[in-house]
Amino acid sequence: MFKGLSLDQAPPISVVLRFFFSAAIFGMALSVLTILYPIHILTLADPFSLAALHLLFLGVISMSMIGSLFQMQSVLGGHPIPSPLGNSFIIHVLLSIGIVTLAGAFITQLAPLFVLSATLLGSAIVYTVFLILPLLFKSSLHNTLRGMRIALISFFITAILGIVMANAYAQGNFSEHHITIRSIHYSFALIGWIGALIIAVSFQVVEMFYVTSPYSDWCKRNVFRLIPAALALKALWLFLNLPYIWIFDLLLGGLLMGFFATTLRRLRERKRRVSDVSIMFWYSGMFLLFVSLIAYGSYLWFEHEAILTIALIAYALFALSIILGMMGKIVPFLVWFHLSSAGYLDTPIMSHIIPVKQIKALFLLFILTSLSAGIAVYYPPILRITGIFSFFMFAFLGYNLISALKLYRYTLTHSQRFEQL
Amino acid sequence: MIVLDTRELDHPMPLEIVTDAFKNLGNAQIIHMIHRREPIPLFEIITKNGGHYLSYEDSEQIWHIYITRNGDLEEYRV
Repeated sequence: MFKGLSLDQAPPISVVLRFFFSAAIFGMALSVLTILYPIHILTLADPFSLAALHLLFLGVISMSMIGSLFQMQSVLGGHPIPSPLGNSFIIHVLLSIGIVTLAGAFITQLAPLFVLSATLLGSAIVYTVFLILPLLFKSSLHNTLRGMRIALISFFITAILGIVMANAYAQGNFSEHHITIRSIHYSFALIGWIGALIIAVSFQVVEMFYVTSPYSDWCKRNVFRLIPAALALKALWLFLNLPYIWIFDLLLGGLLMGFFATTLRRLRERKRRVSDVSIMFWYSGMFLLFVSLIAYGSYLWFEHEAILTIALIAYALFALSIILGMMGKIVPFLVWFHLSSAGYLDTPIMSHIIPVKQIKALFLLFILTSLSAGIAVYYPPILRITGIFSFFMFAFLGYNLISALKLYRYTLTHSQRFEQL
Repeated sequence: MIVLDTRELDHPMPLEIVTDAFKNLGNAQIIHMIHRREPIPLFEIITKNGGHYLSYEDSEQIWHIYITRNGDLEEYRV
């Protein structure tokens, strides 16, 4: 049967690349901060640590994820985001200036910067959610869409709580609920936004990219019921100061551990073992998720702050590993797709758009960054080395993106089209 | 009929192989792609370059995609 697909599925290439380039730039800024203030950054709740944390989770991870959503929404969500050029421009500008002002606010502790950053970031996130979420409710429901909905709703809750906290920082007046709000903010950001989106996308792309067996229907159906339920109940328990709150952490940790185990099994049992660097990012991502979960579980037991730092760093690196792996797939695909659909005969194959050796070099820098970050938790001066590795990693990511864009432009101007034959 | 069974190939090889075959497709020829999922981006490449396609999923959840340049695909409609 003919399917009623809308054409022009993919957004213009600039829409996605502007978010990816910005992620590389914010990554370099984060690296510079790490090189300059390693001890501060490893001290939880230090202003420099909070600035670095938000550069990482908003500037690198969320920036990349929003860029990816512009691409994935049309393919996975079924309905392309309308006016992608205009909408991505608005979101990108608000988000970029918001991240810079928020990092500046933490470092300088200037009240107007907190107010400005809350306004800009709140606007960017609420705009993103209100733009994409209704499209997800138009489509016929499948588990990836359910996960994307939960991710966006969590992102919205994270932003609202962030605004509340920025207001408290601006006024220098923290309510009795500040620590509770901060815990909920972190939980919804890390598990609801980042975790749920990665899981939702994995359900589609692991099978599609690597020809694995599909995830079980039971997992796909229930994980997106249990995550919001556990997050909502954890928030309620925190507000009411009820006992046994660790049960919800245990449930969420168990779900993520299940995701780790089932994904790893699928990757190991994939049908065709062709060489693909992106799969190395998936393996490292799964390993880092495992480390993060073990470290967080140990922290709940021993309450040792360094172990919590390891859990947080490993979780961020897990997300970054998956993101870098996916960028290595998305960017060549976009270049190839736009050239092919425009009828260019000499469109390079995807593995030549970002050459394998360049992705391998990026992976090596990622591993060096991860290893040195782990050591730095117990020997903080090493964090300067981490900063140097991560600076080169993000610079190299930017170089890979630029080389893909240059090849795209070269083909546009030098290649023949079908219609010219 | 050019039959391209891409079920066992990793992404993005199915798209590249079929797009390459489409570039060299004669007016009287038909590509029959057999794939494990519906290759949505491929449809845009085909239609934007003057081609036509018909796709359906069989009872074993295998996708069959027929591609031509002249649009005559009625006999493959299920």
